[in-house]
Parts: sequence; C-alpha cells; structure tokens
Amino acid sequence: MIRVRDHTATLGLVLGLLLLWEVAGQLRWVADGTLPPLSGIFTRLVSEWREYSPHVIATLRSASLGFVFGNVVAVLAAVCFCLWPLTERLFRGINIAAFTVPPIAVAPVLVIALDGDVARITLAALLVYFPTMTAALAGMQSADPGAIDLIRAYGGTDFKLMRHLRLRNALPFIMSGFQVAAPAAVLGAILAEFGSGARWGLGTFLLGSLGRAEPDRLWGIGLTATAIAGLGYALSAILAARMTDTNRAVNVSVAAPAAEAATDSQWKRAMALAAAILLPFLIWQLLLWWAELSPIIAKTPLGVVDYLLTGKTAASAQERLFAALAETIPITIFGMLVGLGVAFGLALLSFTSPIVTRALLPFALVTQTMPLVALTPLAVLVFGRGVTVTLVITISVTFFAAFVVLVQGFALIPRAAFDLVSVYGASTTKKLNLIAIPASRQWIFVAARLALPKALLGVMIAEWLATGKGLGNLLNQSRGYLDYGMIWTVAIVSILLSILLYQLAGLAEWWLSRRPADGSKSWN
Amino acid sequence: MQGLPLSFTNVSKSFSIKGNALHVVDNLSLDCPAGSFTALLGPSGCGKSTLLRLALALETEDAGSVQIAGGMPRSACRSGVVGVAFQDAALLPWRTVEDNIRLPFEVLGRARPEAAHIANLIELVGLKGFERARPGELSGGMRQRVAIARALATDPHVLLMDEPFGALDLILRRQMNLELQHIWSEKRPTTLLITHGVDEAVYLADRVIVLSPRPARIVADIPITFQRPRGTDLLRDAEFHRLCDEIGTWLEPGPAKPSPASRA
Repeated sequence: MIRVRDHTATLGLVLGLLLLWEVAGQLRWVADGTLPPLSGIFTRLVSEWREYSPHVIATLRSASLGFVFGNVVAVLAAVCFCLWPLTERLFRGINIAAFTVPPIAVAPVLVIALDGDVARITLAALLVYFPTMTAALAGMQSADPGAIDLIRAYGGTDFKLMRHLRLRNALPFIMSGFQVAAPAAVLGAILAEFGSGARWGLGTFLLGSLGRAEPDRLWGIGLTATAIAGLGYALSAILAARMTDTNRAVNVSVAAPAAEAATDSQWKRAMALAAAILLPFLIWQLLLWWAELSPIIAKTPLGVVDYLLTGKTAASAQERLFAALAETIPITIFGMLVGLGVAFGLALLSFTSPIVTRALLPFALVTQTMPLVALTPLAVLVFGRGVTVTLVITISVTFFAAFVVLVQGFALIPRAAFDLVSVYGASTTKKLNLIAIPASRQWIFVAARLALPKALLGVMIAEWLATGKGLGNLLNQSRGYLDYGMIWTVAIVSILLSILLYQLAGLAEWWLSRRPADGSKSWN
Repeated sequence: MQGLPLSFTNVSKSFSIKGNALHVVDNLSLDCPAGSFTALLGPSGCGKSTLLRLALALETEDAGSVQIAGGMPRSACRSGVVGVAFQDAALLPWRTVEDNIRLPFEVLGRARPEAAHIANLIELVGLKGFERARPGELSGGMRQRVAIARALATDPHVLLMDEPFGALDLILRRQMNLELQHIWSEKRPTTLLITHGVDEAVYLADRVIVLSPRPARIVADIPITFQRPRGTDLLRDAEFHRLCDEIGTWLEPGPAKPSPASRA
C-alpha cells in the first residue's frame, strides 16, 4: 500500500514539475522565451515530423548498428578476459581508454579515417563497448562459487563453466549494461554526425538548427534524441528486471574461498603494465597501416610526436595546445568538484527526507539518458555563451551521475546500523556523522571516477558548440583549417588527460583509504 | 557392487593466507576400499572439506597422493564415476529441478538421461510435483534434496558428500538417511560422508573416522559393525548410543583419550 502511495507522490511531483514548465514557457519566465512551453514544443514537433523522420531514421540506424556491434565485441571480449585473465591485463590500457575517451575528441578522427557511415557506427559501438564489457565480465566472475565447484567436480573445463554457468549468470548484468550502453550509442551516433558532412541524422539536424533562433525546434530535437535513448534504456531495464527475477541467488555461498593465486613477481607485473600501455598505440599504428590512409591525413603515434614535439610545427602547436589546456583543465576540475559537492549535499538531504530522492531520480534518469549534445544548445539558449554555460553543463552531467551513485551507496548501508544508533538516541545529524558520511567516502570516489570523463566531455562539447574556448574549440577550429596534426593531437591529448584525471582520482582514493575510516570498509 | 576404491596416502595440504602458511592436512593416510561407507567427523574448520576437495581434484595436494581406482582424481571425475553433493546445494537458479539434476550429464557430455530416470530420482528424494519448479521456489531443505538427487543421477561409483543433510530438520534428515542407506546398499558406491551428526555417522557408515583440529590427522578409526539393513529401531539401541557417546568423547577438546590403536 505504501509503495502505491509513494509512486503516486512521485508521479504527482513529476507532473507538477512538467506543469510548472508549461506555465513558465507560456509566461516566458526563462530568459525571454528560450524555454518554450511543452505544448508548443510538441505542436511544432508534430507539425514538422516529415522533416524530422529521415534524421531520426538515420540516427536510429547508426545507433542501433553500433549498439549491436559494440555489444557483440564487448561480450566476446568479456569472455576472453574471463577465460584468460592475462588478456584482461594486456587490454587494461585499451579498456581504460575506452571508458575515459571523450567521444567528441575522437569523432573527427574517425570521420577522417573511416567512411562516414562506418565512422558513426564505430563511435556508437566504441561508447557501447565499455559499459557492456564491464557488466558482462562482472556477471561472469560473480557466478556462485558452489556451482563452479560442482561443475568442476564433474570434470568441467573452463569452457564448460562458461557455457553452463558464467554466460547465463552474466545475462542480467549484461542487460543492465545495456541500460547504460543504449543512450551511449545514441550519443555516439549523434557526435559522429557532427562535422561529418552527413546529410541526415539528428546531429546534423541539430547543428543546422543551431544558428536559427528557434528554441522550440532545438528542444524538439533534444527531446526526440532523449526519447530514442530513453526507449533503449527502458527496453533494457525491462529485460534486466525479467532476468533478475529468475536469477536471484538462492544460496548463501559457503564454499571455501579460492586459494590466493601465487602473486606475480614485480618484473612480471611491470611487463604486463608496459604491454597494457603500449598495446593501444600498437593497435592504432596497425589500424592505420591496414587502412592504407595517407600519412598526411591519418597521423600515426610517431606522426603526432613529430607534429607536437620534434617537427617544425612543434612550437606553434604546443603554444595553442597549452593555451587550450589552461582553459579546459581548471573548469573541468572545478565543475566536477561543484557537481560532486551538490550531489553529496543532496544525497545527504535525501537521507533525511526521502521525498527528495523520489522527486529527483526521474530527472536524473532523463539526464542520464539525454544525449549530452542535445542538452548543450538548450543550455546555451538559457545561459548564454559564457563560462556559466560550460559550468552548468559540467555540473549537471557530473551531478546526476554522482547523485545516483551516492544514493545507491547509501541504500547499501544495512538498516541495522541506523537502528543501532537510534537505540542509543542518536539524532539525525548524529546518524549522518556516525554512519552515512563515513560510509559514503568510498562512493564519493566511485562517483568521481565516473564523473571525471563526463566532466571533460561536457566541457569540450560546451567549448565546441558555445564558448569558443579551450580544447573543444581548438578541435573545431583545426577541423576548419584542415589541421590534421592538431585534430589527432587534441584527440590523443584529451584521452590522455582523461586517463590522467581518472588515475588521479584513484590515487586520491588510495591515499585516503590508507587512513582507517570508521567502518567504511566493512560494507564493501 | 560397483564401488571403486578411494585412497589418501601421506597427504599434506596447506594454504597461504596473506603470506602465512596454514597447514590444513598433515600427512594423512586413509583407505576407503571399494564399496565401503566412511564417515568423517571432526571439529569445524579441521580440514574435512579439504580432503573432499582433494578427492574431487578441486585442490591439489602438496605432498602424498590421492587416488580413485588407482588413478588421478581428475580423470575419475572427467569419466563421470564420481558423484558429489556439497553443503551448499549449488543449484543453478535459472534451471528447473529436472534440469538441475540433468546438469552433470551435460557437463560430462553424456547423452540426455531418460525422463523416467530423472522422475525416479525426484520421487526418491520426495519432490514429486516439483519437477518444473525453480530453486527460488523451494525451501532450503528441498533444494538440498535436489542436490542429493543430482549427486545420485550419474549412478556414481564413488559418492562424496559434504554435510549434505546439514540444512534439513531432524525428521527429514532421518528419512533421507534411510533413503541414502537404501540406495547405497543397492549399488554400493564407495562413499565418503562428511558430517557433524555423530548419530548420522554411526547409523550410516561402516567406519567412522574422527579428525583432529587443524591440521587434520586421524585420531580415531572406529569400525561400525551393525547388521544391514539398519532400521530406525537401531537409533534406540543401547550399543548404538554407547558408540555415539564414545565418538563424542573423541570430539571433545582436551587430552586423555584411549589410544586409537586399541580400537583399530
């Protein structure tokens, strides 16, 4: 009964906010009509549907093909990583790059190196790969140890284990990976349409409509893109829920823990690390050889080194790159920190009044599925083209991801822990201080690592589309000047920057976790 | 009789936990002749399960040897002569009861068993009517019975069981003991049963082995000579209780025990 009432309350809140939007639009409250009423957006959308449909179909096509290919590769990779753990270590560099890569930076590179259609599908597939791969691998590795022993006891090999146990066990995990992957595929397809010269696609449509001061058109495109992504998300979520139902673990595992694997020597670990770092560059080089592209257009790793460090272009390239980095890095970090801070505050607030979570989560969900590119022009409409718009976008991308992670983390704290301190008469503040805050420490870092690549992407998109500053702008300009060296350089530097920030967050986490946090470890 | 011999010869095994060696089994020898029923008793964490895992080739011995029918446990397991039931039912949650019982056949790459064979096993463990149920719909005791049916499904020559009745209530446990005895008498697989129940051990086995706390060594080897088939009246027999009490004293911590040699 309570659940039904809760749902009603949430629904009421959401409807209330939508109504507020309509009223605000009708009365032109926001920045002189840049937030049109919902009814206006929909009327325009319906009346222009004939114009929309080829774009929608084009984007749907590249996104779904990318979704399929990316997922096939992701699941195959997860199978390999699970069967031969050494491969996972060798591909760690590629995997981290796949996770942290700002898609906007590689989009121009892909457009240069590949045929337009293939580039769009590839970028969508690239963004799909990581979420599905990690989910699938986690699902395979989390198979019940008792069932693993059983199959092994009947002489089952690693392949039999994979076939009878791990693959099926991973299914619900894979489905939840799809929930992240589906919106990512749409984002990838749209980003690769940017500057690809493609005639059709929502990205092309969006760029084409950017110059016209027609907020309702931009909102219409944004909402359509969100609807496509949301549909993919919803389908995956339904499938995942179905799967989880029959997959619920029924046994509390009491199997003996696996004996610790013999720890590798320092030397062997160093070798694996070196291989993991070198492999992405090797693959990059090999792909270019294989594609037989002109070295002027398609830069090899050495080509980029030459352009940036040793060649005659070096001085000018370095100057422009450092100027751009000096603009991009501070705002990325600042935006992420503010986003995390807001998320933390709201997560704590949602603790004392759960209604906050219920009201915010549906919107968090929408922004999670909303392709970032579709959001940016709308933010430009409302906030102008200054630093504010970059910050707003960065904060909003990082905030919602972090908020969801933190709320989920809080939900994992056992109720008994709160009941215990309640018994001793602890106030709400005390409960937060004693339990929620220490427990949230590890989730903050999870959130930070998730948020950092998103923050960089947000900043770069804002710079490209709105502010004309930093790395994003450098990339856009270089496209205009056909400065291929700089396009490749920005792509590589932004990936490396993203990895660096990601590793720094990991380092900060490691450094903090050396000091004991009261009880924060026991809920791992 | 179809049992195959199982033997542990001077077996030692240790694990390393955070760099510290933990001796779990120390120079242990145990012979289970073909068609025998051996029960292993011992304090918690003494290494009983490790012995069973060695016999299943889930662990490798550091020294000594474990043999099934004179060969490596791994090849015996691959050939499908070994049946196993763990303490944890280890059912695949997405498979029905029938399909879970069929799993060993699939892993071994054998032909699909006849439907009647599976139906018999399900009836034997008292789960008729639950053929199509999934593990999530069963109680803990019912799941454990599925695991036992699965252990018996391949008609094993060596049957290894690690506290398979631990999750059952006393009445059900007695009933399952009776059934197990019945099945065992018919085919006589060489059976090694790990249990915490002294009465269960005495009721079922030809021989009860009591192990010391870690590292596991044999402290008592007690033959059980009651006539078979053993009925429920045995549970009220004075000699039965005397034996249970004697074994109970072996399990108590502390020194001053009669020498195991005097009984063996």
